[in-house]
Amino acid sequence: MFDADRAELQGRDLARPVILVREETKPDDIHGFFAAQGILTSRGGKTSHAAVVARGMGKPCVAGAEGIQVDVQRCEATVGAHVIREGDMITIDGSSGNLYLGLVPMVEPEFSDELNRLLQWADDVAYLRVMANADTPADAARALKFGARGIGLCRTERMFNAVERLPVVVEMIVADNEQQRQSALDRLLPMQRADFRGLFETMAPRPVTIRLLDPPIHEFLPSERQLQGEIEQLRHLRESILGMDVLASSLMLIEGGISAGGEPAVKQIVSADLVEAAITKKEQILRKVRALTEVNPMLGHRGVRLGITYPEIYRMQIRAILEAEAECVAKGLEVHPQMMVPQVCTAEELRWIKKYVDEIRAEVEANTGQTLSCRFGTMIEVVRACMRADSLAQEADFFSFGTNDLTQATFSFSREDAENKFLPMYNQRGILQDNPFDVLDTKGVGKLMELAVQWGRQTKPGLSVGICGEHGGHPSSIAFCHKAGLDYVSCSAPRVPVARLAAAHAALTA
Amino acid sequence: MNIDSDTYKWVYAFTEGDGSNKKLLGGKGANLCEMTQIGLNVPPGFVITTEACLHYLESGSKALPEDMMSQVREHMVRVEQATGKGFGNPDNPLLVSVRSGSALSMPGMMDTILNLGLNAQTLQGEIRQTGDARFGYDAYRRFIQLFGKVAMGVPDEVFDQEFDTVKQAVHVKEDVGLSADDLQQVSERFLRVFQEHTGRAFPEDPYEQLEIAIKAVFSSWTGKRAVDYRREFKITPDMANGTAVNVCTMVFGNRGNDSATGVGFTRNPATGEDKLYGEYLVNAQGEDVVAGIRTPKPIHQLAVEMPEMARQLDELRDRLESHYKEIQDFEFTIERGVLHCLQTRNGKMNAVAMVRTSVEMVKSGLISKQQALLRINPMHLEQMLYPRLSPGFTRVHRWPRASRRRRVRPPAVRCLMPIVPSCRAGTWRAR
Repeated sequence: MFDADRAELQGRDLARPVILVREETKPDDIHGFFAAQGILTSRGGKTSHAAVVARGMGKPCVAGAEGIQVDVQRCEATVGAHVIREGDMITIDGSSGNLYLGLVPMVEPEFSDELNRLLQWADDVAYLRVMANADTPADAARALKFGARGIGLCRTERMFNAVERLPVVVEMIVADNEQQRQSALDRLLPMQRADFRGLFETMAPRPVTIRLLDPPIHEFLPSERQLQGEIEQLRHLRESILGMDVLASSLMLIEGGISAGGEPAVKQIVSADLVEAAITKKEQILRKVRALTEVNPMLGHRGVRLGITYPEIYRMQIRAILEAEAECVAKGLEVHPQMMVPQVCTAEELRWIKKYVDEIRAEVEANTGQTLSCRFGTMIEVVRACMRADSLAQEADFFSFGTNDLTQATFSFSREDAENKFLPMYNQRGILQDNPFDVLDTKGVGKLMELAVQWGRQTKPGLSVGICGEHGGHPSSIAFCHKAGLDYVSCSAPRVPVARLAAAHAALTA
Repeated sequence: MNIDSDTYKWVYAFTEGDGSNKKLLGGKGANLCEMTQIGLNVPPGFVITTEACLHYLESGSKALPEDMMSQVREHMVRVEQATGKGFGNPDNPLLVSVRSGSALSMPGMMDTILNLGLNAQTLQGEIRQTGDARFGYDAYRRFIQLFGKVAMGVPDEVFDQEFDTVKQAVHVKEDVGLSADDLQQVSERFLRVFQEHTGRAFPEDPYEQLEIAIKAVFSSWTGKRAVDYRREFKITPDMANGTAVNVCTMVFGNRGNDSATGVGFTRNPATGEDKLYGEYLVNAQGEDVVAGIRTPKPIHQLAVEMPEMARQLDELRDRLESHYKEIQDFEFTIERGVLHCLQTRNGKMNAVAMVRTSVEMVKSGLISKQQALLRINPMHLEQMLYPRLSPGFTRVHRWPRASRRRRVRPPAVRCLMPIVPSCRAGTWRAR
């Protein structure tokens, strides 16, 4: 864009990537800077307006590229024989000052020695430990590189979604009886165990926190409409196959019944039985999908509620965690696995799941001869859980706040609806200062958290408490977590360095 | 405001203002006071407080506090005594700059007027004094344009058009090619368009000029770009409320080849390297550097051109860092072999440079580890975690529309400086 107003329109209002191209920039262009990914000017030095402002904003800028003729009136720039017009893709490199036509691929950054040292100082003064959310050993390795002190959230459902596993997961879900389900789970068990062992090994001796299955299980199944379409197609196919049979017998009539032992004139490609079997299977899945349909899945059959109604699933996961620990211990590794239960609202739910854990632990310890240390905790993401923190603390070794769900529950906002419909206006009109899904609402959600920490620790002094929502990587939320007395925050791997420094700031300015 | 404006102090000399009171004096003003008081060679001047600004903006009639202008006059007299010059005195005229400055640094967001005090008479005095008519008319035309634009809202284009007309008429491409006569013609044309656009003659009385300028700076606080900037960076009235006005004796970097103007960073803001960094222009005014109209020279060149000045500049750098314990972004002017420091503020750097300077300042004992941590905004670390352009991509990749991606070869695009290492690159698309 050759004009700040249009850059603002394209970049901010239409959310398109924009580079602002000018001969030189003036303070009046500032709104274009905000909207642009980068700035290119043909005049000026490293202390020119464009350079100073872009530097402050952390945006790439190439200033004083004298080989470029910028014609703002005609909205084009000429570089030698090339003409760049609005709408063309270019790439600028603020480090080298180079300009490229087209999109240039990017590479991931490396940590400098200085950054490592500075963040080491940060860890020394911080009280909050910074952990990462990671679902695979590769994620975990990346988190380690960023300096994570452990995994604060591993979402097991991500493992269920892998291409080669999904059919087994679907089989488990649509199983008509416990035996069928168990056979699918028996195949999932070694996969999950290998997943967990990979995470424990990568992170050893740091803690790894695994959340038992959380989403409603119909999320793993195809949609009703998709299934209906597929069944429709299969039925057409069945008709066609019947038609082929008719055709084959008709040919016999036409050719006068010759070649009784010869090749049939019409080849049967697919057997009618196979199609019939496929239809039956799809209809079975469709029935299951219909049976599992919920009016409001967010508040429905998910989390610990699944663990209680389908105990086999949680039992498989718990076994996989404990057996993975046993395997690591047998190899002489120091590991600190933790499992946590999502969507808990009453201590009775926790006791129920803990019973499974105790049984399976005894069994695994007996079988392997190892002593297992895996800790048992609860997510705090339901308002009632905050109110009942004292009794939950009797069963849990640790609390982990899921502030995304807790924010939805506290406001009674569904995140997608809120962000797409009314939140922008709420922010614009100042009804809410921030988007509570970006910036932790310390006054409301935070108040619940403070109460839960206080009551939880009244029951169990020294109870370990953390946060694993997206808020865990936001500096102002981290400052709040420090004040509220949390022990750790967990965030996405690339946010870990930010969170480490923010945790130090929180400790130094508290 | 519950202030008895008859006795209230609206104006502080650089020698008396409290350098830590940014809220009252603005960041720039507080700094000028502090710099003056730690013995840097700051040209004499004074600060009109942010309280005066708020008083002005909040009084419905847009009136300056009653006693303010008389305090300004008293301080002007003190500046006259310090410099031996007179404001409006045709024999030995005192010229001043008028700049805004709020509690928080808002680069380029507010307005500045230079060479205030020039009129038909003082211009002649200035020319007699310096024996340099070209210099005099150049200063005059710059003043008319800035005053016209900032104080009276005359658009730049109007002046630029006149300027280009003269340049074309005498077949000159660069500003430096214009003679004194040409510039005199420019200033006469400027005075005419000023009158056409404002419906009034250009004010000749320096105190009238000053009053108009002060009001214009005060008003710029509620101008669109200042309001936009504050909204974008979430600057609330608690953080910065109103702008101060800094009135400072003009020093000239365009008084010949023993004069220069420049800007410096006490360390390299792109890499953090512990080495003076910056650029300068010989025989030029500060706005030439900042506006990017002439391409300046790198600062290490100064050691060749003016070795004594380069040595003093190194000394200035050490003094700034040991006092402020932070990387400084400063402006300097050399007027006839005398180095003046006009402004300094904490340098804005990218995250790479912030991290490196933090670690190195701890190593050299300038700051503590705690200070090293606290000076970095955690969110800025994300910059360092941005992807960079993939090295060696030119041979490997094609771009989506099947035409081959071309790297624009240097020197076709000669780009002068790394500004933000390791940043996101972006693209633009059709409307």
